[in-house]
Amino acid sequence: MSKVILVVDDSASVRQVVGIALRGAGYTVVEANDGKDALTKLDGQKINLVISDVNMPNMDGISFLKEMKQKANYKFTPVIMLTTEGAEEKKREGQAAGAKAWIVKPFRPEQMLQAVSMLI
Amino acid sequence: MNLDGALQTFFAEAEDLLNSMEAALLRLDEGDKDMETINEIFRAAHTIKGSAGLFGLNDIVSFTHIVENVLDRARDEKITVSGDLLSILLPCRDHIAVLVENAMHERANDETCLAQGQALLDALKPWLGVAAAPVIAKQESNASAGFFDGNTGGSSDRDSWHISVRFGPDLLRNGMDPFSILRFLRTLGEITHITTITEHLPEFNDFDPEQLYLGFEITLGSNASQQQIEDAFMFVREESSIKIIPPRSNIYAFVNLIQSLPENAQRLGEILVKSHAITYQELEAALATQKNQAKALGKVGMLGDILIEEQAVAPEIVNAALDKQKKNNEKKSSPENRFIRVDAERLDKLINLIGELVINRQRVDLLASKMGNPTLIEAVTSMGNFTEAIRDAALTLRMVPIGDTFQKFKRVVRDTAKSLNKEIELEIEGAETELDRSMVEKLNDPLMHIVRNAMDHGIESISVRQARNKPDSGTIKLTARHDAGNIVIGIHDDGGGLDVEKIRKKAITNGLIEEGVHLSRQELFQLIFHPGLSTAEQVTNLSGRGVGMDVVKRNIEELQGGIEIESEMGVGTSLSIRLPLTLAIIDGFHVTAGNIDFIVPQNTILECVDLNSLNHVQGQNCVNLRGDQVPYIRLREIFSLQPGNHSREKIVVVQFGEKRAGIVVDELHGEIQTVVKPMGPIFQALKGIGGSSLLGTGAVALILDIQQLISFAINREHLRNNAFSVNIQEQE
Repeated sequence: MSKVILVVDDSASVRQVVGIALRGAGYTVVEANDGKDALTKLDGQKINLVISDVNMPNMDGISFLKEMKQKANYKFTPVIMLTTEGAEEKKREGQAAGAKAWIVKPFRPEQMLQAVSMLI
Repeated sequence: MNLDGALQTFFAEAEDLLNSMEAALLRLDEGDKDMETINEIFRAAHTIKGSAGLFGLNDIVSFTHIVENVLDRARDEKITVSGDLLSILLPCRDHIAVLVENAMHERANDETCLAQGQALLDALKPWLGVAAAPVIAKQESNASAGFFDGNTGGSSDRDSWHISVRFGPDLLRNGMDPFSILRFLRTLGEITHITTITEHLPEFNDFDPEQLYLGFEITLGSNASQQQIEDAFMFVREESSIKIIPPRSNIYAFVNLIQSLPENAQRLGEILVKSHAITYQELEAALATQKNQAKALGKVGMLGDILIEEQAVAPEIVNAALDKQKKNNEKKSSPENRFIRVDAERLDKLINLIGELVINRQRVDLLASKMGNPTLIEAVTSMGNFTEAIRDAALTLRMVPIGDTFQKFKRVVRDTAKSLNKEIELEIEGAETELDRSMVEKLNDPLMHIVRNAMDHGIESISVRQARNKPDSGTIKLTARHDAGNIVIGIHDDGGGLDVEKIRKKAITNGLIEEGVHLSRQELFQLIFHPGLSTAEQVTNLSGRGVGMDVVKRNIEELQGGIEIESEMGVGTSLSIRLPLTLAIIDGFHVTAGNIDFIVPQNTILECVDLNSLNHVQGQNCVNLRGDQVPYIRLREIFSLQPGNHSREKIVVVQFGEKRAGIVVDELHGEIQTVVKPMGPIFQALKGIGGSSLLGTGAVALILDIQQLISFAINREHLRNNAFSVNIQEQE
């Protein structure tokens, strides 16, 4: 069965681009438009990896990450942050919250796929 | 990889974001001080920049980046968004819109456009505080590049790039070779210094040969761009820590670098001095400043604390802002959650299919009642109810609130008022009123025209207003409400009003009406829509509301709508645009005249009466309906159909706006759901017919244009009564 990746971004076009890249590589993609939405998508299906934006309305990526790690079955699910945010502070915050990789937009799809393949 | 679809999504998304950005900016202009409003603007710029980057729209990225920087400072309360800044941010938003537009049409941004962008960026400079980092400079080391120049001593080899790399421990396991990166760097220029960081090598017993423990401090003499150098690390960027300091960066970039790296500061300082990146004096000076500051603050500071201002943001501020943002967001539920985007074409296709379903259902209805099987009739009736429900649900899909259209006028009013040197406020009422999306688009132009006219010619200058004891600031009010299956959009101003006498005189001079003819106020007002009056030179005090008003009226009539005017001298003018809610499917009333099927839109019908039961007004096509005189027309007559039996004629009394008239037909058949098919171009000029439709039997029925028929009936009676001006007659 193909691995399921949850893509969290408030920008539909980013979700679409990421989705095209991931589906092209054979992954199954689930989309969410902010942290809150993403939390609801976690339940009821097995997500193998999460790619999340940081700056989003309702719930930002890092808060989402923290909440996700509270869930027993998602404690070790790898998370890639995909964001325009390049500030070290944010990165450290993300790392502390458990993000495995930090890709700064604009990114190359191959680059993201490489990170994904390294993590699952 | 084909990204065309995603690109279209981006354009739609950018348009939405730009709209919400504009609305938020205008809210700030009105004195809104909410942090969430600034956040919203920031997020819009942030998302546009991020997404544009994905599609390589670099002009958008680089421009928006600077705007975002300014907004970021506003978000951190380093600057306040005041009137001055707003009047730059609004054009900046427009410029982004232009860039997006150009990208959408695959047009290159010409020099004028780029120069405009540069002028805006220059205007933004005072609010940037410090020189903005170039867009590609993502690392904090670069964020501080270029600041505090000139306070350094000694000489250093800072014409070179400095690259600091700490590889991820799994790099070798992933099949990467660090040396290949060094080899690639050498193709970009000359590596003048390299120090291998071996601090992280463990004790021999703990050493894992598959793990990478090394890092490099590299000095690279090269003319390559930052992007090119960053690209060298493309495949290791996610897991490694890479800092690139451009040539001629100041000492603080390096101090920052030292602080951000895990190794011993003294040791790193020495490495940098050795590689000629900085001089020993500079290092000492920076360290000393830091110590003094730490003393002043009464705590032992880290090397980078002195740079808190130019470092991205202090952590407390970030946390505070995030908390606040979270709280605000919990209050307001974001619209993004409630809406999904659907291609308008797909929606139209669905509506079309449902239209076909409605027609087919009528056919089944007809067959069932012919067969007379009660069970079948029952089943068909129940199916009919669902068809109706589906139709209604599908139509609401196309409904959008008019508020978004109204919102655009805030900007128009603000800008136009400024250029006219007037004070004008825009009030909006009934923004939640919904109407068909296709109508909203076509309403834009006429509304724009009316609002501009009201501002230009309706609202008086401040001095005149003062003389008339009116408040300095004029008001334009846009309203929308539902009224008996119609939507009524009002544009009200509290300006000078229309001068009925001047309109009359002008119309007589231009030969539109003859002297001595009696016209009601409403009829006189309607003259401003006459091309003969409107294209004439501007009429003073008539508010010159003229130029192109005929076009406005034509646009509205194309939407099966009508305009009414109410105005009082010195008090103001109100225009009411009455439109049907949708043009796609309507409830109709099926009638026949001369063996031809016609459909009267249900919402216009007041009653149906036997013509012979009514008293006729002597010598006129007019009946007396409970004391009111109602003019009527015979469909058979005006469409030159076969004559029929007069004794059985029925009259359908219809109303549009305030006007009433009767339509005489042969037979009434009852209510019917009608899918409106527009008339082909050949029949566009045909008066009295608004469209066509298929009946359940497969026969074609013509949908009557009630507004035109009413005007025709009324004017004909006028003409008969008092030789009403022929010119007006022609206009109708």
